[in-house]
Amino acid sequence: MDPIDDIELSEEEEEITAETVLKTLQSAWQNERLAPEILPHHNDMVECMLGQIQHMERNINKLPKTDLRASIHKMELSRIKFIICNYLRTRLNKIEKYCIHIINEERQRMESGTNYLTPAEFKYAQEYLLNMESHLKNVVLDKMPGNMQTLELNKMAIYPNLQTHVFLKANDTVSCVVLEDLVGDQDEEIDLEEGSQHILQYKPVADLVKTGKVQLV
Amino acid sequence: MDPYEIEFLGENRIISVIPNFSYDKIYLICGEFGPFRAGLPLNVPLWLAIMLKQKQKCRIVPPDWMDLDVLENIKEEEKRSRFFTKMPNEHYMVEAKLILGVAAEDVPNSSEIKTIIKDIWDIRMSKLRTSMDALMKSGGSYGRLDHLTLMEINSVKPLLPSAMDDLHRIRTTSKRPTTASLNTSTFSQSGSSQNI
Repeated sequence: MDPIDDIELSEEEEEITAETVLKTLQSAWQNERLAPEILPHHNDMVECMLGQIQHMERNINKLPKTDLRASIHKMELSRIKFIICNYLRTRLNKIEKYCIHIINEERQRMESGTNYLTPAEFKYAQEYLLNMESHLKNVVLDKMPGNMQTLELNKMAIYPNLQTHVFLKANDTVSCVVLEDLVGDQDEEIDLEEGSQHILQYKPVADLVKTGKVQLV
Repeated sequence: MDPYEIEFLGENRIISVIPNFSYDKIYLICGEFGPFRAGLPLNVPLWLAIMLKQKQKCRIVPPDWMDLDVLENIKEEEKRSRFFTKMPNEHYMVEAKLILGVAAEDVPNSSEIKTIIKDIWDIRMSKLRTSMDALMKSGGSYGRLDHLTLMEINSVKPLLPSAMDDLHRIRTTSKRPTTASLNTSTFSQSGSSQNI
């Protein structure tokens, strides 16, 4: 009997294979790497994959060290861990960079229940901001004259540049994407056919990236 | 993204190998592969093929397109067409580099194939540079890039989008001369207040 059994993940509503989870994670990683702003999290996928990895590691430990299968499985696990680590790290980098902006936006999103950050990420963002504030106060502001001691957070906020140009590939056919034309005030409409590749501004396709209709490349 | 990350994505492609050992099916997270039978070809992901090759446990079957005649045709087609032609493979450069790197002896005419793939790459890159130049000169903020592979797109990545961003920034700022003049007036005011 093979100690490493076929893996099927059963969830309450739908059944997805580990393979699908991996593919979703990979495209989430690619999008997150290439999008200027932070995207909605895929925490369920990450958790699910981490569970798979643990399960797999336990099984590998049962195999003899010299077994070829063990090294193949280890290699695959390292590849998946690379994706997950890189994905989470990219998100943390964005959270640190756009900290103030993200926290403000996230507060509004939390009210409508469409939060982009996981609870842990949100906690991280808040603590990061607190630490930055108290650091600035301790090092500089407390030694300044009284009228210059206030820290104006909103003036310090860095915003992601949504006008930046990105490369994308359409997963589905999307018609009538409106490209704003600033010079001639004439908006242009384009159609994205399935499988076609384009370079354009991020802003008009931001929602399409979030819904997975296009993939950033 | 860094080139090694594109290579990483390319390594997920499926390719055919002939193992020299026999084994049962192996159940990986990315799918099940096998059973391995010595001497019989089977499909595995490229990263696994490379790993087995490095352990000298298999021979790599060169993909169909990795053939002098096929590549010669592609090269001619690429030269003739004004546009980018469709490549046999989304990751042809990565695949060629990896396979020819570790398993050159498994590919007939490997050195000629290496040269011709490099030629195709060069033709495409020069086309890409010309069209980028045209795009920038026309001041466009939109372009269509069908049939370009990931590695090719990635090779112009630091340059093209940021050039387009800059162009966009220049346009938006030149469109609002009013705010610019406002700034200078406040600047001169503060300057005069300093004088007092």
